[in-house]
Amino acid sequence: MPGNELLPIGLVQALLVLLVAPLFTGFSRTLRAKLHSRKGPGIFQNYRDIFKLIKRQEVVPAQASWVFRFTPYMVMATTLLIAMVIPILTLQSPLGMAGDLIAVVYLFTVVRFFFALAGLDSGSGFAGIGASREMALAVLVEPTIILVLFVVALLAGTTDLGTISQKVAAGEISYFSPAVWLAMASFAVATFIETGKLPFDLAEAEQEIQEGPLTEYSGRSLALLKWGLYMKQVVVIALFLAVFFPFGSAAVVSTSSLLVSTAVFLLKVAGFYVIAALLENSMARFLLFKAPAVTWVAFGIALLSFVFYLANV
Amino acid sequence: MIVQQLFLLSILLYAAGAVASLALNRAGKIANYASGISAFVAASAGMAAAIPVFARGTGFTMEAAGVIPFAPFVIRVDLFSAFMLLVISLLAAATAIYSLAYQEEYAGRGAGVLGFLNNIFLASMVLVVASGDAFYFLVFWELMTLVSYFLVSFDQENPESVNAGFIYFLVAHAGAVMIMLSFIIFFVHTGTFDFASFRNANLPPATKHLAFLLAFFGFGAKAGIMPLHFWLPRAHPAAPSNVSALMSGVMIKTAIYGILRVSVDFLGASVWWWGLTVMAFGAISAVLGVLYAINENDLKRLLAYSSIENVGIILMGIGAGMIGIARGEPVLGVLGILAGLYHLVNHAAFKGLLFLGAGSVIYRLHTKNMEEMGGLARRMPWTGFAFLTGALAIAAIPPLNGFVSEWFTYQSLFMASTSSLLAVKVLSPLLAIMLALTGALAAMCFVKAYGVTFTGPWRSNRAREAREVPVPMLAGTAILAAGCIALGLGAPVVAPYIGNVASALLGTSPVRVSDGLLVFPASSARAVLSPPLIALLLVGFVTLPLLIAGMQGGMQAGRRIDAEPWACGYKYSPRMVYAATAFAQPLRVLFRPAYLLRTTLAGPGYTIAAYGKEAVVYVARVESMWKDYLYGPLLRGTVRLGKRVQALQIGNVRLYCLYIIVTLVVLLLATVR
Repeated sequence: MPGNELLPIGLVQALLVLLVAPLFTGFSRTLRAKLHSRKGPGIFQNYRDIFKLIKRQEVVPAQASWVFRFTPYMVMATTLLIAMVIPILTLQSPLGMAGDLIAVVYLFTVVRFFFALAGLDSGSGFAGIGASREMALAVLVEPTIILVLFVVALLAGTTDLGTISQKVAAGEISYFSPAVWLAMASFAVATFIETGKLPFDLAEAEQEIQEGPLTEYSGRSLALLKWGLYMKQVVVIALFLAVFFPFGSAAVVSTSSLLVSTAVFLLKVAGFYVIAALLENSMARFLLFKAPAVTWVAFGIALLSFVFYLANV
Repeated sequence: MIVQQLFLLSILLYAAGAVASLALNRAGKIANYASGISAFVAASAGMAAAIPVFARGTGFTMEAAGVIPFAPFVIRVDLFSAFMLLVISLLAAATAIYSLAYQEEYAGRGAGVLGFLNNIFLASMVLVVASGDAFYFLVFWELMTLVSYFLVSFDQENPESVNAGFIYFLVAHAGAVMIMLSFIIFFVHTGTFDFASFRNANLPPATKHLAFLLAFFGFGAKAGIMPLHFWLPRAHPAAPSNVSALMSGVMIKTAIYGILRVSVDFLGASVWWWGLTVMAFGAISAVLGVLYAINENDLKRLLAYSSIENVGIILMGIGAGMIGIARGEPVLGVLGILAGLYHLVNHAAFKGLLFLGAGSVIYRLHTKNMEEMGGLARRMPWTGFAFLTGALAIAAIPPLNGFVSEWFTYQSLFMASTSSLLAVKVLSPLLAIMLALTGALAAMCFVKAYGVTFTGPWRSNRAREAREVPVPMLAGTAILAAGCIALGLGAPVVAPYIGNVASALLGTSPVRVSDGLLVFPASSARAVLSPPLIALLLVGFVTLPLLIAGMQGGMQAGRRIDAEPWACGYKYSPRMVYAATAFAQPLRVLFRPAYLLRTTLAGPGYTIAAYGKEAVVYVARVESMWKDYLYGPLLRGTVRLGKRVQALQIGNVRLYCLYIIVTLVVLLLATVR
């Protein structure tokens, strides 16, 4: 049973995600610029944006109710909580007693629920489109995520994230089994979609629907909401890494092992962003109704992985 | 001894309230108070009778000779019945308070009759779950159906209500006949109507299957499982909102009670494919129910469709439990039933709340069309807050109650996935996917329900002029909102009690499901969840961004709340807001096969000359596929068969004489042989 002695590490994880999230998205922006043969804003630009916006006056539509103003706080709080539950620095879940992987998947729904609701609340048509797309995309991705996680959980015999991380790191759930690497491939696609990167940048489609639910945000709220969304990206990637790529995380808790695992985690996330940037910049945005083509493939791979699990290959 | 008296007191109070309300019909408001207050006190007595049963873990029995020689009148309240009694009483208490103000709408339009029917309805539901005898069970079941039929068609001026009531009447009776047949099978084998002896009826296998299937589909028609659901989204919204809350919140649960009573209690759930059948029908109802719900713009119909979804989720848990029992895995059995029953009480709380909230909105706006609502959170803040709590709970947002019971459902499906039986091993994870799909769709559905109704600009003048509803209505919704929060955060306290109900029903030893602040499925190594901890941390973490903003001087910057949403440089108008129909549009495209989309375009056509002269009318309607693919052919087949049979009846007297003679000869031959 997961204990609470790792609670401080959980807080460190939450703080880490909070602090580095703008760095990674800045890194992603710079990579994007480089691929476009532009100079780019530099990897610290997102910090500068946030600190500038946070001091600015906020302009709120007269139509909006409290949900609109509350959403940035809710998004941030939920991602911080998820960052505590996922094993990021250690192989154990620092807050495993709060919930398992099903709880984590549903906590992501909290973020989405409030984000979409805020979009409708702002009264802007563009925000409404974004809200609708955000929820529709989740309908396409969620079954894949649950199936993949179910397969891995069945292999591990538990839905506890920490135990899964440990078993994958120890090689008990090994890549030699087709079920595992197919599950990984499928979950990688799902993770990519969940980070809201370009071909699936449907909800916030910048040029087309004015950043969707973000349209009416400004000043402090915009800063916090953007920050929250950056954090969500990192946390989604962290979930992928915790389940399928936990190598390098600390098995025994000590200062040095934690420092090493922090460095390894940052490198792994950076690696994910490099791959994502290559994909993102080689594609144009999908039509919403073309997205199922990809999600069906991801679901098909997940199903295949399940079949291999059943056949016990 | 005292619990029996409390139980009788509860029934008598319902009856007294009903009679008083009818007698005072002309007095209008006083009739409301008579029926509402007596129902509230009766519900409190019902709770007081149920809670000791939980505390002691043993039930009580009352017997009377009754008027009919072959069937004594038996009230037998075991742990399961007490659980149902508690759920019914809780919702009855909340709706009773609510109706004090709500039924004023009906003053002069038969408020007294409404109160009368309402109280009889409550009493009949209590008696259904407390009956210990098949004969009286059916009597009360019939009473419940009949009274709810009158409640559905209460609004006699509205042809839709009358029509809905009629369809409900037919389906409910088709179901009742199947339930009756199932009970007759037991009667034939035991020679008595007593439920206690049904348990020991040793039915031969084929008869057993028949008894199960008759009961499942008979009760299923009442529960609204697909494809026997079509009456539900018509009937539930047609009734007054406090009655809709009761119908969706608890009446369909009496059907779940019936399914469990027959298949688990009497038949011992001894066959594994029963559980699989229950699960499969549950999964189909869940996914399609919510898919249809999303495309409804009538707020109450949306909620009614979502009831079908939730019945599906309840059945998924129960089905997993039945598989566990059949395969000799009592832990899975208890967990599955626990998940189902937990979702049952949760659904009673949040669906009751949502229907009452919808009732409050309709009370002020007098329309059920969501496109004419909007912005109500600023006009009716407390109703809005309660409705949001219900919407979050039903969308399975942690740490509220809907999530906790779905989590238990996932855990029982997970455990079923490790079964040694291949069919179960293959299907359980696939059903978990359907549960995930349901979850994502439900989240979208209730973003729409709350978002379009309560947020954004006012979509009509009536919405602009709306006011908060009277205090009793707020109190009714507030009780249920508190219930949703308590059932979620209090999971470590609540789950063991429901677990005890499940294990008592199965006759196995209790399974440990909680420890301190945690809940877990039998073993904490498998998975743990702590709703109170999640709530605590969420609240704690909300302060962090506040702190950051405060430190950065953001607080002094202030905010200006007067802007209009950006509209590409044009003048903003509330008509530019994203409509309810538009919000659900992606799903109409993505799940095209499940819907039948009918679009009609009428008008001058697309010639430039004609374009400005007339209005172009574009109508898109969404209909369910069942009507075209299942009921249509069924109906046409019946009519065709009728036409064939008609050929016999051509009005020639001589031919009829021939029929009589042929029949006589055949009968004679049959007896002589």
